[in-house]
Amino acid sequence: MENFAHVDELNLVLQLIESGEKEKLMELLRERLIECGWRDEMRALCRAYAKKKGRNNVTVDDLVHVITPKGREKSCISVTSNFAISTSASSVPDSVKAELLLRIQSFLKSVPLDAL
Amino acid sequence: MIESLSRSSILIPRMSALNDGSSPPQSPVTIEQRASRCFDDLFESIIVDMASECHRIARLGLDRNLEEEEEELRLSAQARMENLGSSSEYNSKNVADIFGQTHPAIPSETFDCMNCGRPVTAGRFAPHLEKCMGKGRKARPKITRSTTIARNRHARGSPVTVFAPYSTTPNNNIIPDDTPRTGGEELANYTFEKP
Repeated sequence: MENFAHVDELNLVLQLIESGEKEKLMELLRERLIECGWRDEMRALCRAYAKKKGRNNVTVDDLVHVITPKGREKSCISVTSNFAISTSASSVPDSVKAELLLRIQSFLKSVPLDAL
Repeated sequence: MIESLSRSSILIPRMSALNDGSSPPQSPVTIEQRASRCFDDLFESIIVDMASECHRIARLGLDRNLEEEEEELRLSAQARMENLGSSSEYNSKNVADIFGQTHPAIPSETFDCMNCGRPVTAGRFAPHLEKCMGKGRKARPKITRSTTIARNRHARGSPVTVFAPYSTTPNNNIIPDDTPRTGGEELANYTFEKP
């Protein structure tokens, strides 16, 4: 089917291009998150969570849920304790998100369309 | 493979746009959607990184040390605030410190002055030194010829014979240099030992 042919091309191209640009975007996002203090907030949340739950009882999965912003949690909210809900992570600051989105969009636009 | 399938749902609206053979601009919704998904992917990777890092720190107990220090600082600040509430002077002198020791206001331990060799009480050491070393206060040690010579030697760097009068009169203005003159009577038995 044509759809999938295009998809395969797209996939390939995206992977090739993103292998360069994706790294840059990751770095940029990491840097912005550090700058705006999001990273420190999350570390504090994790620390508090680990303290409450017991240092050795914490799993990576727990911490992922602690950090993941509320809007993205689907059905797993009720599973975590009340503590986790009340201190659930704030989402990324809007300015950071906007900057990244803009950058991604401009990158997507700049990709030569016949390659896709 | 799942990724490619999910991307296909975004590509479907574009199919019609490719028919004229040129490179049409992608519809803005699509780009925004794709950008948003891209961002979400990036963000999720970063979240997982952070979570695993925090997990590692929690498991290895690396963060605990910092945390305990912070707590201790907070508690000590609290304790200090509480102390200020009551009479601070009383409390600062008679309250037990962190080792459980209480200290009297004036220390009463006795030791020997390293300057003159006399036994002296710790609480009186500072005034003693003022007199003993002859600086700062009116009370000055009684001088002997040997002390004068020794002091002048120390001050001028060469042995000098000084005709310092050995007297107990309070005539302090004769000698212009810093040779100390005689002071109170209680210091009659001083001998100055050059270190």
